[in-house]
Amino acid sequence: MDNNNIDFKDLWKKQTVNQPNKEDLMARLKQFKKAGLRSLWKTNILLFATSAFIVFIWYYYQPQFISTKIGIVLAIVAMIMYVGVYNGLLRIYKDIDTNQTNQEFLQKLILIKRKQQFMQSTILSWYFVLLLAGICLYMYEYASRMTVFYALITYGITLLWIGFNWFYMRPKQIKKQQAKINELIVKFEDINKQLD
Amino acid sequence: MEFEEIYKTYWDRIFRLCMGFVNDYDAAQDLAQETFIIVWQKLETFRNESAIGTWIFRIASNTCLRQIEKEKRFPKSDLPVHLSEEKQASIEPQIQYLYKCIAELPETERIIISLELEDVKQAEIAKIVGLSEANVRVKIHRIKEKLTQKFKENGQQ
Repeated sequence: MDNNNIDFKDLWKKQTVNQPNKEDLMARLKQFKKAGLRSLWKTNILLFATSAFIVFIWYYYQPQFISTKIGIVLAIVAMIMYVGVYNGLLRIYKDIDTNQTNQEFLQKLILIKRKQQFMQSTILSWYFVLLLAGICLYMYEYASRMTVFYALITYGITLLWIGFNWFYMRPKQIKKQQAKINELIVKFEDINKQLD
Repeated sequence: MEFEEIYKTYWDRIFRLCMGFVNDYDAAQDLAQETFIIVWQKLETFRNESAIGTWIFRIASNTCLRQIEKEKRFPKSDLPVHLSEEKQASIEPQIQYLYKCIAELPETERIIISLELEDVKQAEIAKIVGLSEANVRVKIHRIKEKLTQKFKENGQQ
């Protein structure tokens, strides 16, 4: 039998379709918006609570040294930067113009993923550096009131903890993020090649 | 054009496009809804530079492409078993087989053939996908051959 005997168009259009009413769609839209708002609240409340806690410490204990204050500021800056960049990345991704040809759209997706890949590892490293500097400065005032022995132990444990995070957690986290993004980039590039 | 009118006119066509892409009733329903949410949000920004069909099909096909990311995040096997099988049981096996074959094609070919079967003009398909018209014509021809071949092998005639 030759090609023309199979009427693909006819078969294609026989697929059962169930058109939900418009109210369902609008309910879904509301749900969408709510979910977006909720995730925004979650990260920002967390950030706000941590900052409020730190400011409370500042106010309550009245640190004398400037190093303590700088330390507090650095820690807050680190957190704001991290959340800010992360929110920004998510927004870029959500706002890609969908009215482009598939080819342009795929190229945009690849570009954004590359940017995301770079930002994530860079920002994560900066986050750790700022936090480390902040904590060390913050601790100085209190350590200076301890005996040398206890001060050394305090700093030792803190640095050990930070070292563990820097040398173990950070690379692991970056690797995990990169693997996920790389896989997607490869996939999108493959699809884009289909259009060559 | 009013949203409601667009919705009524295009829902079936968009749904079938999504269905050809994923061959999963519930997922296709989700993708079609997502498409119309974008249409609803962006309708104001639509200028009559292109035909409204081209505009909507672009949004739909790009939405299908973008869901690949979600697919990677939640592998299908992790999702609860849907009742989609039941809904599809009433459909002729030939129709099911057609959608299955299309969903197994490379991603862009799924979009191209779906648009062709929706009677979208080849010049419009070219504008949606981002290929030349000649290229689209060649691709459609090859995809149809591929599908015919598969149908023959399967004895579905």
